[in-house]
Amino acid sequence: MNNTVYVALSKQAGLAKELNSVANNIANVSTAGYRREGMLFSEYVRALEPQDRSISQANIGGHYFDATPGALTQTGGQFDVAIEGEGYFQVETPFGERLTRHGGFMVDAEGQLITSDGHRVLGDGGSPIAIPAEATSITIAQDGSIAADGAPIGRIGLVTADPTTLAREGANLLRADGETTQIENPKLRQGFIEESNVNAVLEVSRLIEVQRAYEMGQQLLKDEDERISKTVDAMRRR
Amino acid sequence: MQALRIAATGMDAQQKRVEVVSNNIANMSTTAYDTRRAEFADLHYQQLRTPGAISSSTGLIAPAGIELGLGVRTSAISVSHAQGSLRQTGGDLDLAIEGRGWFEVTLPSGDPAFTRDGTFKKTGEGLIVNSEGYPLAGDLTIPQDARSITINANGEVFAYFDGETEGQQIGELQLTIFVNEKGLEALGGNLFRETQASGAPIPGEPGLDGRGAIRQGFLEESSVDVVAQIADLIEAQRGYELNSKVISAADQMLGSTTQIR
Repeated sequence: MNNTVYVALSKQAGLAKELNSVANNIANVSTAGYRREGMLFSEYVRALEPQDRSISQANIGGHYFDATPGALTQTGGQFDVAIEGEGYFQVETPFGERLTRHGGFMVDAEGQLITSDGHRVLGDGGSPIAIPAEATSITIAQDGSIAADGAPIGRIGLVTADPTTLAREGANLLRADGETTQIENPKLRQGFIEESNVNAVLEVSRLIEVQRAYEMGQQLLKDEDERISKTVDAMRRR
Repeated sequence: MQALRIAATGMDAQQKRVEVVSNNIANMSTTAYDTRRAEFADLHYQQLRTPGAISSSTGLIAPAGIELGLGVRTSAISVSHAQGSLRQTGGDLDLAIEGRGWFEVTLPSGDPAFTRDGTFKKTGEGLIVNSEGYPLAGDLTIPQDARSITINANGEVFAYFDGETEGQQIGELQLTIFVNEKGLEALGGNLFRETQASGAPIPGEPGLDGRGAIRQGFLEESSVDVVAQIADLIEAQRGYELNSKVISAADQMLGSTTQIR
């Protein structure tokens, strides 16, 4: 008898999670290299008594992130690098290699190229990139090769990975659980930063949708509650 | 409902951005000021189901996981040490650095501090000091009877005396570079201090080994691009509003939940 309530509840729980994902996207509207996330709802079928028809409940079955590149903003920073098209930078963290799209790099006290969190950026050979202290100009070519005053000193490597093997770790880092492959022809832009790919209009419309769907669910629960109490009332009067 | 807290982190981040922008705009006329930029990173993810989890007893693997992001944080406020434009002042102790490098001054505590603000003055004893009165490192004293002084691009200081046609070299200025200039700690008053992140100072002759040249009679202007800052300000304000919309939506959803009964 309570199936209506359970089905509606499963939807409400899912919508509350979806709202969290909208909130996270909007919170990260200014995070460089951020990837918009979304929730996938799936039907969750519950097998009941053989004579009954099955009842499907809503369930969050998965989560995806949108790999569309974000807009590029010119910063003019010598170590600001944006990726045009696909690919990720490889960085070395205490927990192993991680991927990132955030190309606002700097140089640490030893002269190595690092991210703003202090993780070393890896070159295409998998080794850190050292920037000479006395270099006056650093140029990063479109294919990732870095030159200090015209002399080549290394190359930033880009990799791709199967999107289903990527897990997000926060701090703009992604963990690849599967194989990563080197990109043959990377396209990099020096002096640019890739913005978050969150589309504010889309997120606000999603927000309204979630809110209204949630209110509909509440109305359904309320109506169902009234129906049950009326039934109980009617049965008592007999 | 976590959405409330997630949106709060977003509002906090946008507020930081406004603070950084307002500081940049406030310093649009500060000599040799370097533009700051707030950088953000996403917070941790709550793994409700990890990608690649086994979804059934037959060993099927779920193609996508469920990760709930928990918001945003400010990861860095990075300083872009871009060259500001040079403004001619004509002052003989107004020095600008064209290229990389920092002047070293000595704080009252005896510790060194570094600045690109080259508005130097002369004390009664002939000592070269900055506008706060901190002496320029290198113990340069201008003789009392010097008619004028010239500082060339390589930092050599010449004094000219009455009755002499040729100048006398009385010392030389040095410029300091750092491996990671973004790692310097700002002390205010246009001064910076070395940190572990910046690496040790590398002093040397101006114009050599990556150091810039000294231009006497010029001052470096602030590198703030006001138009870009205003655009940033608008973006930050709209971002703030968007996050507050999420808070009110989450609030209304909670409200309708409590009204079921």
